[in-house]
Amino acid sequence: MKDNILEIENLNVRFSTFDGLFTAVNNVSLTLGYNESIGIIGESGCGKSTLSFSVMRYLASNAVVDGAIRYKEENLLEKSEREMEKYRGDRIAMVFQNPYSSLNPALTIGFQLDEVSIHHQKLSKKAARKATIEALEMMNLGDPKGIARRYPHQVSGGIQQRICIAMALLCRPDLLLLDEPTTALDVTTEAVILDSIKELKDRLNMSLIYVSHDMGVINKVAEHVVVMYSGEIVERGPKQEIFDHPSHPYTRALINCMPRGGVVKEKTKLNTIPGYVRRRGANEGGCPFVDRCDKRNDTCESKYGVRQVGEKHFAACDRAYATDIPEVLHEKLVPKVRETREDATKPTDLLRVEQLHKIYGSRRKVYAVNGIDFSVEPRSVIGIVGESGCGKSTTGHMVSGLYKPTKGRILFNDVDISIAWNKRNKETLKNIQLIFQNPGRSLNPSHTVEQIIGRAMKKLADISDPNERREKIISILKKVDLGKEYLEKKPRQLSGGEQQRVAIARALSISPNLIVCDEPTSALDVSVQASVLNLLNDLQVETEAAYMFISHDLNVINYLSDYIMVMYAGKIAEYGKRDEVMNPPFHPYTEALLSAVPEVDPTKQKDPIELLGQLPDPAKKPKGCPFAGRCHRQVGEICEREYPSMVTASDTHYYYCHIKPTA
Amino acid sequence: MKYILYQLKKHPLAIVGIAVIIFWLIMAFIGPAMLNFTHTQIDSENQIVGPGVNGHLLGTDSLGRDILARVVYGSRSILTVALLTSILSTFIGVILGFTAGYFGGKTDTIFLRSMDILMAIPPLVLSMVILGILGDSTIVSLTLIVSIAFVPATARVSRGVLLTEKSQEYVSAARIRGENHIYIMFVEILPNTTGPIIVEATARFAYSIMMVASLGFLGVGLQPPTPDWGMMVIENKPVIAQAPWAVLFPAIAIASLVIAISIFSDFVSKVLIHER
Repeated sequence: MKDNILEIENLNVRFSTFDGLFTAVNNVSLTLGYNESIGIIGESGCGKSTLSFSVMRYLASNAVVDGAIRYKEENLLEKSEREMEKYRGDRIAMVFQNPYSSLNPALTIGFQLDEVSIHHQKLSKKAARKATIEALEMMNLGDPKGIARRYPHQVSGGIQQRICIAMALLCRPDLLLLDEPTTALDVTTEAVILDSIKELKDRLNMSLIYVSHDMGVINKVAEHVVVMYSGEIVERGPKQEIFDHPSHPYTRALINCMPRGGVVKEKTKLNTIPGYVRRRGANEGGCPFVDRCDKRNDTCESKYGVRQVGEKHFAACDRAYATDIPEVLHEKLVPKVRETREDATKPTDLLRVEQLHKIYGSRRKVYAVNGIDFSVEPRSVIGIVGESGCGKSTTGHMVSGLYKPTKGRILFNDVDISIAWNKRNKETLKNIQLIFQNPGRSLNPSHTVEQIIGRAMKKLADISDPNERREKIISILKKVDLGKEYLEKKPRQLSGGEQQRVAIARALSISPNLIVCDEPTSALDVSVQASVLNLLNDLQVETEAAYMFISHDLNVINYLSDYIMVMYAGKIAEYGKRDEVMNPPFHPYTEALLSAVPEVDPTKQKDPIELLGQLPDPAKKPKGCPFAGRCHRQVGEICEREYPSMVTASDTHYYYCHIKPTA
Repeated sequence: MKYILYQLKKHPLAIVGIAVIIFWLIMAFIGPAMLNFTHTQIDSENQIVGPGVNGHLLGTDSLGRDILARVVYGSRSILTVALLTSILSTFIGVILGFTAGYFGGKTDTIFLRSMDILMAIPPLVLSMVILGILGDSTIVSLTLIVSIAFVPATARVSRGVLLTEKSQEYVSAARIRGENHIYIMFVEILPNTTGPIIVEATARFAYSIMMVASLGFLGVGLQPPTPDWGMMVIENKPVIAQAPWAVLFPAIAIASLVIAISIFSDFVSKVLIHER
């Protein structure tokens, strides 16, 4: 077969560890044609990264590999390290997830890029620099000469990743592997990068393997989709077919559990996949997904094999739409909906923030939050959204007391709490709880779950009797769907989703009035994210606590919030009730954010508004509208010169822009 | 336990190290009971006899004292001092380093500068001067002084590990729960830093053996008649031509123990830190 650039045949990758052989990739066969692109998708721990790493032969020393990886008919697994060098970076290039760890911080960007062509193409220094500049230009980086002279830390994460891609493209490889290159980046930057990858693929006639956990991203760049689960390919085929008729239950569940644009909590409960990816022994038969599958039948545990479903569509199972499943599972997922209270009087605000400022550093000032005002009603959810560096987390941390505001007031039940944690009284500490982004880091790794939750109760809720405490912990764990057996476990023994549940349990255990959720789902897999969001929503309805929900993901914010606040460069760009902000967005920044969110459904492709440039330098106080430099709807000079005044669209909806609503 | 065995299999050298340490521990505990001579007993008939002569397995020194007995007795004092030193210096170091790193700012600056001053004087010189002033050193004074000489190093290590843990979110979570500083430092943070601290303590163990032996060699260590390996080397230096064994065996004892502990400490760091 001359028309395939890459053929993987019965590839097995196992790691020999203390616990015995661990299978990361199990019997995977895959072909990739010239100029084709494949997206590999699956939850974390499914072996998708290991698969791409083994193509490059970048595997740890304890890996046992068998099978064949043929690149243009040559088996890469039989090559020596020396011979591999000719392929790596030259014919096959790879871009990694973390741009800041793949660039050397001690060398200039130009030097690092030059090295590639000097090494592989034996170019002279001058010619190499020319190639470097050309590659940087290809990635639409303004001022490539200037960038080549800089060090990696002097450019932003999005630009670093584009530099990494430019580096991969230097030798014009035939095959480009991308391992979650945009996962660590903002949606707006992600949109720009995905577009240029797509464009360059056609221009340079490359084949592409794109690894991601995000259906939306895969949808944008890939023509074929490979779904991996527990080291095995469970389904592969053309993108459209996979989306329209997923054949394997896992694929279907994966597509369904992403919160899509427009899905809101009152109407739908998110689909979830119960459980987590189980580690499989080396020679276990049957379908790997069987223990989490709601469509399983008796043959699933024994039989397994990939079959042809469509012309180019292969799947290991076709029970995605099976109806012969137990009755219990038919129960429709109905979300808990808050009852509207009849007390007509407008409730007094639970939290009021007035002219809040936070300035970090003394000599080189960083203006993180620049005078924001907002309020939170009791029993409501306010979603704060924005790119990284916009001050949303800082705001949350100031409310919860981790930092003291530089200026301004935070009123909680009309008590001024704009002081740091060590000056707050117990009542306030109890009533405002914080859920952190990374549950692995916010739970003490050497304490047990019981200690973690119990300590908060003992300290803030004055429950000193250990037996009483234990009972309460068990009941609270039950609320977050964890059993009694978790009491003695340590965070390390839990999966990410379970850890976040414990963190939520800790926050809820002392019945606070306000919970600040700082990106609680962004470190989790999509399937787990859905279940945590469901849980947060149910608990909010049940406990009537108000949430301040901080996230960079508009779909998540849209799903959970009653009010949405869009922040940009430490300022509020737009604030209002969910529907007022989302359809249609008034502020150009909200509009751009909304357009950048990758769409899950391939039929609904949209053109993102490309936000070029970067966030304004936080060390300078901006004079005009902070968004002016990147705005696609700039009205004129006034944007640069004057900070726009507040435009009130309705009682609850306002935004800051020079564009006034027409009529 | 099974995990330790697995690691031992991967690092066979560690088995050697652990075996040597165990050998010396056995020597220190029950060694004296198995000997024909005591460490102070002077066999005037057999002065400077070679190994194996007249029941002196490792020979005798110029006074006719049994080398084996003195080496075995010497292991007791050196192990006691070294063990106490590593525990004490780690203890003080953790408290100082944690306090400095946790509060930061001025406290930290004062701490760092005073540690710099202490570190500017080599620990050996520092202990020598203090011991010289104090006169006759006992196990207690020796332990105290060597510990103090080691505190800057352990304190800096503890401060370093605290700083990396301090930025973790569980510390923030404890803060907004209203926990006090002591609780955060020693209940929240300390259990997560045991790895590097234990590694540092075992490394200190090897250093303190070197230090005690060096002090003994310089004549400011434990005073006679307590046998001390370092002191044995210097005592027998004048007769090195006639009785090389009298210098050689205590030297081998020092070297074997120090190397064994260093290997062990490497192993501990691999198990506790690198391969988590």
